[in-house]
Amino acid sequence: MQPSSPPSDSFPDRLRAAREYRGLSQGQLAEKAGLQPSAISHFETGARKPSFDNLRLLADTLDVTTDYLLGRVAEFKALAGADTLHRHYNALQDADRKFADDLITHLASKASKKR
Amino acid sequence: MKSTANHYAHGALAAEQLVKSWGLALPIDPFAIAAEFKITVAAKPASHPGVSGMLVRVGNEFAIAYATHIDNEPFQRFSVAHELGHYFLPGHPEAVFDARGIHESRAQFTSKDRYEMEADGFAAGLLMPRHLFFPALERAGQGLAAVESLADLCKTSLHATAIRLAQCTRDPAAIVVSSGSRIDHCFMSEVLKAVNGIDWLHKREAVPRSTPTFTFNQDAENVRRATRIEDTSNLQDWFGGRRRIAIDEDVIGLGTYGKTLTVLYNINMPEPEEEEDEAALVESWTPRFRR
Repeated sequence: MQPSSPPSDSFPDRLRAAREYRGLSQGQLAEKAGLQPSAISHFETGARKPSFDNLRLLADTLDVTTDYLLGRVAEFKALAGADTLHRHYNALQDADRKFADDLITHLASKASKKR
Repeated sequence: MKSTANHYAHGALAAEQLVKSWGLALPIDPFAIAAEFKITVAAKPASHPGVSGMLVRVGNEFAIAYATHIDNEPFQRFSVAHELGHYFLPGHPEAVFDARGIHESRAQFTSKDRYEMEADGFAAGLLMPRHLFFPALERAGQGLAAVESLADLCKTSLHATAIRLAQCTRDPAAIVVSSGSRIDHCFMSEVLKAVNGIDWLHKREAVPRSTPTFTFNQDAENVRRATRIEDTSNLQDWFGGRRRIAIDEDVIGLGTYGKTLTVLYNINMPEPEEEEDEAALVESWTPRFRR
């Protein structure tokens, strides 16, 4: 099976789609999100890569999920699975997995309350 | 492809820009920054070591978990600052995914270390931003005493602070971290790196036998009990070359970390002209014989 395009490659297109759906210009979105005016055009051309903080700010401003902007789900408000980012992934012990699972449950309940 | 050092510097710079834009003062509180950005911070139970920290995302919600098995505030602050690096640094969302978006495969991501180096640099730059660290360094003096006073000011470990000092100082200085007879790593200040006719110290090299650090490391109790000494040694003993210049050497055991921190400073390199004058003088003394 041919792998689909990497999620990070989808970000410029997803950002543009969500922005246009909300009827915002690049400048208007930048202003609403508190980013520099040129940031959105850099994101949409792929010249600049977003941080998680940028993704969250843009997602909240556009009322979509970061999962949508990352190309992990097809609908604006849908959620994909959780991410955990840390060193030595293979060395993650059971106790860490359990702790991460509890955090994920906590965050998921926060996320669902907001929707 | 950027080198490892550049990834670190890139991360540090990004953090320093944020600290400036937020107008923060020392000590920087990574817990307060997380709270400001509505990132849940959770202490992992001290009962198991596991990973030092992790960043977790569900939808638009984020959390940082940090290890507490090492009962040391500076270590925990650094762990949280490192995870904030993953949150604030551009491009890090990519580190979570492999080319097919399956996150279990991430461990095979080839440039994964790049993100870790960037996050380490971010942590150092966040807790010890150059624009605040440098003026404090100017006031702190030299040697281990300076490292200690800066660590106290920044609430950072002696180890992390010493590395930052070597990166920021305008003096010729070096810090060496060793275990037993081996050098784990060495950071030389930019000025010292620029000195001609000396060798750079490297990882896994032996601690030179004639130095106070070598003698110190002969007794493991010195390390465990965090013994502290102020001594002198010689530029040539550490860095080779032809100049025997007396330098100061402060040494401290890093306790349960099991390593020794050495600060080499007060390295008064002669000016190039002085060396030339000296060479000319030696030349004038050297008897000449007719062929």
